[in-house]
Amino acid sequence: MTSINDDTDEVVTKLPIHYSNALSPNVHIHQFPLLTRPLQAPPSSLASGKRITARLKPNVRRLEIHVPSDTRPEVWNAEKAKELGAARLEDDREKNQETKGMKSVDETRLSEVRMKSEEIPQRGVHLLGVVRDGCLHLHPISETHQLRPALTYLDILSRKSKRSHGGFDSDSDDGPPPDPDDPAPLPVPRKEKKSTGEVKEIQVTARKSDDKNGLTGPGALSAVRREMLHAIRAEEDEEWEPLEFCDVVTAESGDAFEGVFSQTSDMLQCKTNIAAFLKEINGL
Amino acid sequence: MSSNDPPSGSTPKAIGSLAKKQSDVTRQGTQKLKFVPTLPQRRKKEEVKAEPTTSVVPAVPSTERGRGRGRGKGDGRGRGRGRGAAPPVLEMTASGPFAMGPALAGSTGRRSTPRSNFTPSVPTALGASAALGVNLSRSAAPSLKKENNADAKGKGKAMEEEGEVYSDPDDGVEIIDMERIRDMDWMAPESLQNERQLKKFKKEPSEGVAGEVDLAKALDLSESEEEEELEDIIEDFAAPTEIDTDPTLREERLYFFQFPQPFPTFLPKASESVADVIMGDATDKKVTFAPDVMPSVTPGTSRTSSAVPTELLMTEPLDGIIGELEVYRSGAVKIRLTNGILFDVSAGTQPSFLQQVTYLDKENKRLCVLGEVNKQFVVSPNVDTLLAAMEEADNAPVTIEGGENLIKMDG
Repeated sequence: MTSINDDTDEVVTKLPIHYSNALSPNVHIHQFPLLTRPLQAPPSSLASGKRITARLKPNVRRLEIHVPSDTRPEVWNAEKAKELGAARLEDDREKNQETKGMKSVDETRLSEVRMKSEEIPQRGVHLLGVVRDGCLHLHPISETHQLRPALTYLDILSRKSKRSHGGFDSDSDDGPPPDPDDPAPLPVPRKEKKSTGEVKEIQVTARKSDDKNGLTGPGALSAVRREMLHAIRAEEDEEWEPLEFCDVVTAESGDAFEGVFSQTSDMLQCKTNIAAFLKEINGL
Repeated sequence: MSSNDPPSGSTPKAIGSLAKKQSDVTRQGTQKLKFVPTLPQRRKKEEVKAEPTTSVVPAVPSTERGRGRGRGKGDGRGRGRGRGAAPPVLEMTASGPFAMGPALAGSTGRRSTPRSNFTPSVPTALGASAALGVNLSRSAAPSLKKENNADAKGKGKAMEEEGEVYSDPDDGVEIIDMERIRDMDWMAPESLQNERQLKKFKKEPSEGVAGEVDLAKALDLSESEEEEELEDIIEDFAAPTEIDTDPTLREERLYFFQFPQPFPTFLPKASESVADVIMGDATDKKVTFAPDVMPSVTPGTSRTSSAVPTELLMTEPLDGIIGELEVYRSGAVKIRLTNGILFDVSAGTQPSFLQQVTYLDKENKRLCVLGEVNKQFVVSPNVDTLLAAMEEADNAPVTIEGGENLIKMDG
């Protein structure tokens, strides 16, 4: 900002700032990096009764929002949807994500987009601000999630096609080149297949060598890899909790919105000196 | 009214089109909808034959109402393929959920919702006002009746574009503006933004894909960008009341503020000593304050000696006034906290994607969307104040700052 000469610069408006953390830590920001329009179910889906639904894994803080797709024949390929839906069902089964009770044929069709969340760390402190009645109300935002469509079922399809084609045709489906730490990509898929129904143990070979990179020995995994697999496994184990998705128009949403506002006009005393900001800068 | 012209077109305009020549009749034997995009230039007759770039199954249901359900769902304009003239025999009427216009599309404009980045800044005029700078039309098909199409389009265009008037379409000829394709259907592709439009909507910092920086304007942008942003900020804060004609439309915008670490800690009461803390309730408040700084009775919390400042934010219910936002004549916006900390507020990078603020209601297992984030702001400590405070701190004897109850980690 350009420095303003305070003598000549006058204050035009002053807005008192209210602060409230009444709804903490449950106010989140959801970013949809691949979406440039409001999150709505298409009207054709609304007409057929489908709504946006959501589910949550509270411990790992993973959220999924299911947005129904526009399945009009003009813009939707039904056969492909069946194919992909079957793949998704299989993918769910492999990862123990299968929603119980959804076995009807109808559900094996792909009819919704699953937006999967990824929590991103916050830089600085994020606050939500709303101007109302000449006051600015602030409320802290606890988590920031980015939601993108989850297309993991495509892996199933590519696996199938790879098998059928012998694996040489679908280069693009091979995924990233094998990790240099990992001696062979084989252990990982093997593990996943084993995992369905079995006790999920990490395939750790008993190796005396203490190398972090785990280069020696067949099927050895680096510690980092192991941790990642741990985390993935733990996440898969956790159950989904269904959530009711209330759009902005709903009354519940309105109530929640009102909860953001500060209710009182009491002055809060600030305990932090401005120099604290300098102290917080790493390396200064 | 409808004449079956041969595919070679009656009055082809020399407009470069990517159109493939197709027959006018669909597989099902009905007349195909014609897609006739317009040029952004004043032309007497805009009959351009082009094919929509998206691959849309041309199958059109045989009924007339089903027609409206075609690619241009509920869109009276319909879509055409191939040649210009032969109009469908059937009257294009809007049908489907979009038939009533954007009002029905989730009743976007008419609900008590906060303003969304994706609504047109002009109150939706039948959705004809489509691409606005970075904004996208909120609802897709404007679903105008065909005969009204030109009028509405003319109006819409006159409102927003500089002198782009399209002549009335001939019978059966669709005029579809390439920049307004987004309006045609829920699934219609996004139109790339046009430079011209960005000028009008400098309300939002433009980050349109196409044509944001014109070579001729390149220099200007860099200088005026800052001013533009400042103006924007003023508009956001200085207008104390938004003129809202519709009481149900929630006019409050949601702003996203990014404060530096650490967020200042606040205490509900000037509790110089712990003993003073009152387990007060809200009824206890007496607001007595001298100009600015005097804190007063709190909506009690008892834990003033909680540990880490960041946790303080989360665990202690705080509610009250922490400072003031000052808008200066020069356009600067500052936040002054009650103990003198001064922040500068500037506009942050506005994302072009959707950002929603949500509330996760754990007890009721609900995810409530509070609204879309309209504007991002970055708050940074005012450097002058910071340096002055540092000097003071250096000169003054070392005291434990703020010091009463907080356990501060040294260093």
